[in-house]
Amino acid sequence: MTRVLGPGEFYYKEAFGPETVCRGAVLLECEWDGGVVEAGALMGVVFRSGEFRGGTFWGGVFLGGTWAGGVWESGFDHTGRYRPRTDHP
Amino acid sequence: MPRVIVASPHRYPDLARLWHRAVARDLLPALERAGHSVEVVVFRDAHADEFDPAHFPGAVLEAPGPGVRDFLEFYDAALALDADFLFLLDADLFFLDPDWAASWLPSFDDPDVSAVSLLRRSDEPGVYALLCRTAHYRELPQPVFAPAYEDLEDERNTVNRQPGDVAARRLRELGRKILYAGPEEAEERIADFHGTTVIRASREVFGHLMDGRGFEQLVSRKRYFAMGAYDNALLGSLHQAVFGEPFAPGPDGEPLGGSVPAEAVRRELGLIEDARMKEVLSAYFDRSDRAILRLAAREGIDLALPPMRPESWR
Repeated sequence: MTRVLGPGEFYYKEAFGPETVCRGAVLLECEWDGGVVEAGALMGVVFRSGEFRGGTFWGGVFLGGTWAGGVWESGFDHTGRYRPRTDHP
Repeated sequence: MPRVIVASPHRYPDLARLWHRAVARDLLPALERAGHSVEVVVFRDAHADEFDPAHFPGAVLEAPGPGVRDFLEFYDAALALDADFLFLLDADLFFLDPDWAASWLPSFDDPDVSAVSLLRRSDEPGVYALLCRTAHYRELPQPVFAPAYEDLEDERNTVNRQPGDVAARRLRELGRKILYAGPEEAEERIADFHGTTVIRASREVFGHLMDGRGFEQLVSRKRYFAMGAYDNALLGSLHQAVFGEPFAPGPDGEPLGGSVPAEAVRRELGLIEDARMKEVLSAYFDRSDRAILRLAAREGIDLALPPMRPESWR
């Protein structure tokens, strides 16, 4: 069953699996593993797998998964290299 | 005459104006008295068109572009400028004793000294107030100042290297020296504030995705946000007193609407139950209060601090 994280919702240090879709929530220092991000903001998030289609990625680590669209504010790729604004994986 | 470039990235023009006022009045003349020519470079990491050049007399205003996409790439771009020394300064750092800062320049008479860190927040020098010999830093692989994660494949040993950390390690491996000001010495001579830009950028980037109260609750949940919100209210009081204009205004121009208003800081701090967190924050706020009062004194202002400590904390 799909879990939708919507606007107005805030999550701190939580983990989300492949059944999750983010449609406007704010995630701070969470782990993302397999779901889809359509909108919202991920700050300091470890993105292990899944698809990033929209929203803002800021200051996290993009270990795996697919970057399809959205705003890359800053972050690190799977090698640990810093990628500045717009330089998404 | 040796040339120093003072370089600082700023996202918000009001804080940049306060910072530049102090640098131009105090630090720049101190470095010149020490026999150096000095140029100030302000990097406008966002809101570039809101920085009024009239508020930054004598400074070079830079903005993002190809190869300099954000403030972290700016550090490397500044290293490439024509200078013998690069003085990186945080946006919310002010010298109370600028001659003390300049007094470190003769340390570079030792040809093995690569940098002096005047303020460190960890074992590494950081880039909060880092005076660098450009020739040594330019010998390092690029990007020189970038942060990095190391050993990501081994979670238990993963290390997050902050800006400047990797460069410092590489310099030490080459037999170079990095000098450090003592923490007590720095405390007396520097007014520094923490997280003031992060909380404003957070409000800007994702505050609209939360209701106002939801964003303000971050103050009671995350120590770094509490520090940033508190310090912004202090800086806001000083900014209002110096320039007669609101600081960190919200969409309707209300003071601190782009951070967290002082009364909301007080309310959210009152919700913190963790005794250890209250203790740590109290000590931090004491330090911030002293810093802003000393900074105000340099302006000749008898500043009234906004009441943000809950009664229950007294």
